[in-house]
Amino acid sequence: MSYIDTIADNKDLVTPGMSACHGCGGELILRRLLKVAGPNTVICIPPGCMAGAGVVGWSFDNGLKVPVHITLLDNTAAFLSGVTNIYQRQGRTDVNMVAMAGDGATADCGFQSLSGAAERGEKMLYVCYDNEGYMNTGFQRSSTTNRGSRTSTTPVGSVIPGKPQHSKNLPYIMAMHNAEYVATASPAYMKDMIEKIEKGLAASKNGFAYLHIFSPCPTGWLHGPEVSIDVSRKAVQSDYFQLFEVDKGVWRQTVANKKPITLKEFVGPLKKYGHCSDADIAALQENIDARKSFLQKMIG
Amino acid sequence: MSKREFITPIGEEGIYILDTASWRAARPVMNKDKCIECGICLTMCPVNAILREGPKKYFISYDYCKGCGICAYECPKKAIDMVKEGGE
Ligand code: SF4
Ligand code: SF4
Repeated sequence: MSYIDTIADNKDLVTPGMSACHGCGGELILRRLLKVAGPNTVICIPPGCMAGAGVVGWSFDNGLKVPVHITLLDNTAAFLSGVTNIYQRQGRTDVNMVAMAGDGATADCGFQSLSGAAERGEKMLYVCYDNEGYMNTGFQRSSTTNRGSRTSTTPVGSVIPGKPQHSKNLPYIMAMHNAEYVATASPAYMKDMIEKIEKGLAASKNGFAYLHIFSPCPTGWLHGPEVSIDVSRKAVQSDYFQLFEVDKGVWRQTVANKKPITLKEFVGPLKKYGHCSDADIAALQENIDARKSFLQKMIG
Repeated sequence: MSKREFITPIGEEGIYILDTASWRAARPVMNKDKCIECGICLTMCPVNAILREGPKKYFISYDYCKGCGICAYECPKKAIDMVKEGGE
C-alpha cells in the first residue's frame, strides 16, 4: 500500500467541516494522523487551534468519529498516561493512544507532563503540530517561535525587533528522553510524514513515541494559504526545519538536503519575518548551523 | 439534538459539522486534459475534499472545500485552476 493509497482509501475520521483557517497545517496533520491511526484510536487534544476549530466537539456533538478528550493546556501527556494505563491493564493493547497538541501545549505549558510521560515510557504517540506560537489566541510568542519573528507579544518597534530569543529545539530535547521513537516531519514530505506516523504508532505499543511536525499557519505567519505546502518544503530545503528520526536511540536524517536553498528564500513569503535585516537573518542562520552540526554529530 | 447512544459520543451520530464550502471565494476546477491522475492534490488537501474513484481517478468534491488553493499550487501539471465563485 503506497502512502497515497493510505490517504485515499482510509476513512476520514474528522468532521468534514471544521473551522480551521484556509490552508491550515494543523487540519492537514490531524486528518492524516487519523487516516493512519484508524477508528481504533483514543485521542487527547488540549486547547489550541484544533480544539478551537471544533474537533473536540461542541454542544454535545463530537468533532471526530473516535473518542476525543479535551485535556487542559498543561496536562495532555499526564491525562493520556492515565488512559493508556487502564487500557494496558485491561489488555486493550490494540487501541492506539494518541495525543495531538500545539507547540504551546507541548513545549511550554505542557512540558513537564510531557517530559514525565516520556521518561516513564508511557505507551502513547504524542504529536506536536508546531506553528511557532499561540495561534488560537492571536499569535503570542511561544518557546518554539524563532528569533526575529513578529508576534503579538513581541511586536516590531524601537525596543525589540520581533522575538529576541532563539527557539527551544524540542525534538532534540525529546530525543534525550530515551524514548522508543522521536521524529520530525513536514507535510510537504508527505510520504516521509505518513511513514513516521506509522512508525510512531508501532513504537507506541512498546513505549513513548514523539512526532514534531512543522505546521504552516497562513493567518499568523501572514502568507497566502495556497503556499502552505511550499513554505513547509522550503523550511526543510533551507535547513530551518530538519527531517530526522531517532529510532531506539539510533539517529538518522530521513530527507538529506544536499543543496540547501538560502534562508532568505524561505523567509521571503512570510510577513512575520518581513522586517528582518540581513543581520537578523544571519543571527537566525547561525542558530540553524549549530543545529545542523549537532544533528550531524548525533548521526555520527 | 439527534439520538445518542453513548455518553462519550462515538461513531457517526451527532457529529459537529460546519458548512465550510460557504467560505470559498474561488473554486478549484480540475482540467482532465492535463491531469495525469498522480494523486498529489489528494495527499495535500487539508480538508480531504479531493477523493479517488476506483484505483486511479481523482476528483474534487465541493461539499466542504474551503478554496485554499493548495491543490492548484501543488499540482505538478498545473491541471487545477482556481475559478472565482459566483461568476464574473
Ligand atoms: S495533482 Fe494534478 S495531475 Fe495529479 S491528480 Fe491532482 S489534478 Fe491530476
Ligand atoms: S482548494 Fe483547498 S480545500 Fe479545496 S480541494 Fe483544493 S486543497 Fe482542498
